[in-house]
Amino acid sequence: MSTATVTIDGRRIEVTAEQTILDVARKAGLDIPTLCYLEKCGPLNTCQVCLVKLNGKLVPSCGTIAEPGMTIESETEEVYEARRTALELLFSDHVGDCLAPCQRLCPLGLNIPGLLRQVQSQDTPGAIQTVRATLPLAGVLGVLCHHPCEQGCRRGHWDGPATIRDIERHVAELEDDQMFAGIQKECEPGRPSLAIIGAGPSGLAAAFYLARAGTAVTVFDRNKEPGGTLRMEQLPAGILAREISILQRLGVKIETGIELGSGVSLTDLLAKFGAVLVAIGDPVGQTALGLPLSSGRIQVDPHTHLTPLKNVFATGAAVRSTRQLVRVMAEAKAAADCLRDHLKGIAPKALQRPFSSVMGRLSPLELKHFISVNNAAAATTPCNRCASTGKSDPAGHGHPTPALQTLFTPLQATTEASRCLHCDCASSGNCILQHYAQLYNADANRFRSERRPFECQVMPGGIIFEPGKCILCGICVKITELAAEPLGLTFIGRGFDVKLAAPLNQTIEDGLRKCAKECVDNCPTGALSMR
Amino acid sequence: MSSLLEAPAAIVRPEPDLAYVDEAVERYGRQPDAVLPILQALQDHYGYLPHAALEKICSVTRITPAGVSGVASFYDMFRLQPAGKHIIRVCRGTACHVNGAERVEDALKRELGIVPGQDTDSQGQYTVEQVACLGCCTLAPVVRIENATFGHATPERAHAILREFSELKLNGGGARSTEELLQPAAAKGEIRIGLGSCCIAKGSDQLFHALQDEVARTNAPVNVKRVGCVGMCHRTPLVEINAPGADRSLYAGLAAPDVRALVRRHFRPRGILNRAKQIADGMIDALLGVHNHEVISSAALRPQEPSVCDFLGGQVHIATEHFGESDPLDLDEYVRHGGFTALARCLGPESKPEPLASPLQAIPPSAIPDLLDRAGLRGRGGAGFPTGAKWRMAREQTSNSKYIICNGDEGDPGAFMDRMLLESFPFRIIEGMAIAAVATGAHEGFLYIRHEYPLALKRVRAAIKLCERRGWIGQRLLGADYPFRLTIKQGGGAFVCGEETALIESIEGRRGMPRLRPPFPAVSGLWGKPTVINNVETLAMVPWIICNGPEAFAALGTKNGRGTKVFALAGNVRRGGLIEVPMGMTIRQIVEGIGGGVRPGRTFKAVQIGGPSGGCIPASLADTPIDFESLRAVGAIMGSGGLVVLDDTACMVDIARYFLQFTQQQSCGKCTFCRIGTRRMLEILNRICAGKGHAKDLAMLETLAQQVAAGSLCGLGKTAPNPVLTTLRYFRDEYQAHLQGRCPAAACTALIKYRVLDNCTGCTICAQHCPTDAIPITPYQRHWIDMDKCIRCDSCRQVCPHQAVEKASP
Repeated sequence: MSTATVTIDGRRIEVTAEQTILDVARKAGLDIPTLCYLEKCGPLNTCQVCLVKLNGKLVPSCGTIAEPGMTIESETEEVYEARRTALELLFSDHVGDCLAPCQRLCPLGLNIPGLLRQVQSQDTPGAIQTVRATLPLAGVLGVLCHHPCEQGCRRGHWDGPATIRDIERHVAELEDDQMFAGIQKECEPGRPSLAIIGAGPSGLAAAFYLARAGTAVTVFDRNKEPGGTLRMEQLPAGILAREISILQRLGVKIETGIELGSGVSLTDLLAKFGAVLVAIGDPVGQTALGLPLSSGRIQVDPHTHLTPLKNVFATGAAVRSTRQLVRVMAEAKAAADCLRDHLKGIAPKALQRPFSSVMGRLSPLELKHFISVNNAAAATTPCNRCASTGKSDPAGHGHPTPALQTLFTPLQATTEASRCLHCDCASSGNCILQHYAQLYNADANRFRSERRPFECQVMPGGIIFEPGKCILCGICVKITELAAEPLGLTFIGRGFDVKLAAPLNQTIEDGLRKCAKECVDNCPTGALSMR
Repeated sequence: MSSLLEAPAAIVRPEPDLAYVDEAVERYGRQPDAVLPILQALQDHYGYLPHAALEKICSVTRITPAGVSGVASFYDMFRLQPAGKHIIRVCRGTACHVNGAERVEDALKRELGIVPGQDTDSQGQYTVEQVACLGCCTLAPVVRIENATFGHATPERAHAILREFSELKLNGGGARSTEELLQPAAAKGEIRIGLGSCCIAKGSDQLFHALQDEVARTNAPVNVKRVGCVGMCHRTPLVEINAPGADRSLYAGLAAPDVRALVRRHFRPRGILNRAKQIADGMIDALLGVHNHEVISSAALRPQEPSVCDFLGGQVHIATEHFGESDPLDLDEYVRHGGFTALARCLGPESKPEPLASPLQAIPPSAIPDLLDRAGLRGRGGAGFPTGAKWRMAREQTSNSKYIICNGDEGDPGAFMDRMLLESFPFRIIEGMAIAAVATGAHEGFLYIRHEYPLALKRVRAAIKLCERRGWIGQRLLGADYPFRLTIKQGGGAFVCGEETALIESIEGRRGMPRLRPPFPAVSGLWGKPTVINNVETLAMVPWIICNGPEAFAALGTKNGRGTKVFALAGNVRRGGLIEVPMGMTIRQIVEGIGGGVRPGRTFKAVQIGGPSGGCIPASLADTPIDFESLRAVGAIMGSGGLVVLDDTACMVDIARYFLQFTQQQSCGKCTFCRIGTRRMLEILNRICAGKGHAKDLAMLETLAQQVAAGSLCGLGKTAPNPVLTTLRYFRDEYQAHLQGRCPAAACTALIKYRVLDNCTGCTICAQHCPTDAIPITPYQRHWIDMDKCIRCDSCRQVCPHQAVEKASP
């Protein structure tokens, strides 16, 4: 007897009786996205993200039985577009930030709320790792960064933002034996090593990212000391030297006093290294390298950072002049990523930013509610700058500028970190909606419309319900039904105004006497969580 | 904060007495599926659903709290807060919309002093609600206050409507019921009067009682007979007189005071005394100067009159056979007209109840689906699925219980075919269901009827009772050993329940949220058992097909659609009403032939066919024949049969927005595409109609519409974008004009301006009617309108005796 099969995207896959298309695809290792499917609940057919094409129509794969002989399309442009639209429609009605605004605004993507939680709980090794894993020359950034993170801080509209940069600097000044644990990788043997020309902010940042990823890097500079333009900045004594020594401990080789063009040529370098990243700032040196220029700057592909010369990449001020240090470093990071792809033989691709839903500005009333549910305890803790000068400014603006040389005491650091409102979603990184949005390159703002008011219900037993993040998948409703919860959960209302709630005007917690944990664990988004 | 935004003083009401909950539970049972009927009973009793009553239901039945709250918040008919003493329902059906229902609602609210955002006045007397469709489309715009229906409402009439209603209340609640079972007396003549919902709304029940009283008073040899819908809704109340030895006479638009003259004109009273009285009455009338004769003569409508001939000429009556002749609840008459012979044939020789003549050749149940195949009968509810195939599928299932459901949840705004069929031909529907039961092996049937159709519910309930009393349904079916029980289920006001799987959920006592198909209901439907769900009209056609043979049915129509289709013809058309035409008739033949075209001076622009799931077909495609395939080819669908004619005063963008607003409000909220997608589409359309659209909006709207159509779970979502897609296809220039800030039909209020022309005489009538004092009172001088104060209610333009007010879009 021949086995029954279905064809998915041209692949023949065996089926048994009463299997859904989703079952069949998953068993064969195909990833069909679903949000509302949980095996014990059966197909709920609400999210419509698991669409596949069958007989010219889009059908939800979770509820459609795979009949032998079916021809199914899953990874085609049309199906992909429909799934992406479903995700984007859900985001158009999603009230919440996956990433906290500070992290989203950080060009280097530092996990700021995570860092502040570590500082607050005095997890020094953890805090150091968080900073060191993400930031090149962290101590320098801690002084010179223009801190866009603080501009995004929700507290800025309350009583002044958390002084994130100062905390960052505080952490960067700390020493810890374990500071490179989990960051430092042995250079993989046999891997071609790379050359970077220029030991300024760009070159050093690129070196950091490449070394961190286990690539052998040598940085060349014509000056006697590395640092480039950073040497001209007003920096507290010793910071730059310390940061460079940390880079060297990461395995970065720095050769100074080598002038390109006169002593060593680009061709020489290419003979010795797998690829070269030009990261010079001084335009005078450019011609000497023999790189094609366009309007006075090195010509590169904006996405791949590749110059017209084979195996030569470029970044930094010689390509594009960028004022802010952190942006220069972000550019260098992107170039470093392209370089790594190139070495692995993958065509370099444009940087994909981490996906995040964006809640946008909160009204004063919403902000009050937001603070009361997120960090009521610290709602009145004044910021350090105001506290140290005794000049409190409740309007939230005009904080005294910090003195360059002052450092936080450990207590000041923990107090300041405690002011964080933890605007990041508790489920970020663990959220199915976010996961597929990233995978499907969804645009959270494509159908953006007037936002629903922010609402968060924190219940005495520790359950937190955020209606704005609920996608009405129905999993929790079904779980309570199956568990015969005395009260349970239900949908209230109809159409666009449907809400998840406990019946008879009770609270969600009242409805979840038996299966709170199961519902929280299986919530595909951050709508239901536990404190 | 302005005082307008503050909540009005709460209306203090005593705690409700919960004893009624027990009563309702006793009546409907304690099982989870009793939730909808129990809540309906409580809503009727308390006027809303008191919280304590909901808690009590959970404690005394097996209904869960989740079930109660979920269901109570899903259906429109339930209120969780007390409403005003009287509920004013403003119909927002298509015909009402194009005739200005929105302005009427605003005017009523202004009249009652209801602040924006509220629905009840401060005294708690009146609550103004919108209702999807009252099914009285030919009287548009329609307002219903409790049981009194007011047709052709206008903003200026708002005050008069409220006064009329309170007078009606003072006079003891209006007319007597026309729903008692009538005893026909021996008589030679017959006066027939149509008593469908629209006819009643136009005063035909008062006329009916006046005629009965007059006949009783004069002892004239005539029966006054209630008949179902006459179809000619544009001429109601319609009275037909069949006097012995004379041609039948038709009268349109008569009122109660005219009956004396009418009866006198056609019938001689019996007995010398009565005759003498008649002569005396005539003399007194003449002395008093009452000239009813002139009224009567002008109301006379010769059946040969061209307008009548045109209206009736092209029609073929199958579902509406014997329309306007039979009493909806006269079972004997139904049998005299050949009723129940089709069922008798299907049951075979076993069934031979008196007075049925011995049945013709019997049809074995297994042959019924084939017979319907040969007739080419396809579902009349919208999608056009072959009925024979559906019945065969159910028949082939081996299951100990199967069900038949009659889908009477006609929710399309602008459609009232099902209501009329249920009101006028309840026995025919019952017979159709019984045949379906015999053909598939089902022993239980449900009629799911909207609660907005009180008369249909009443008549069907009475018809079932009459059949049961005669032993024709129940333990035995028409005398044969075939149990068949029928139950009525009342809808709760949710359009989505017209979708068959949502309807099943609703009967099972849940929120009406559709299920994924397959499995189809014919395989796994109500309580997981094989279930045949047919539309009212489909079932009404079955007895005819069996009596007259499938060939006779198939001979009508085209290969893309056999037989006939009932349409509710309404909108900007001269002769609106209920019509049944053979498939394949063109849109033009219907609009211009039967409907008499648009009003004088206007041009025919488009028809909207198939309601919110259908599309707008432009006048340039008016020669499209009406059948399933041809309509689909032009982007519309047959739908359930709403046919709204639009003239050049209709804005197509506004029409698209209107339908989308409807479907968006009626979406169950289950799947992403329909719940959020239709909302986002509506926001774009709102923006365009407000003159705030962006150039990229059209492309975005079109893409989103296609995605919603492709990705939604059920028929509602899949077809919701049709009105948008068809108007984008045929009337894109109107969308473009809106993007430039102009509404070509001058219908979108944000884009129009009013102006007083030179021929203004300064009569101040407009100024007196202006609700916002936007027109200063300047006697004998040309008026002017302050556009900042103007709310575009159109009152000034309508009341101006010199047509000196102009409405225009720049």
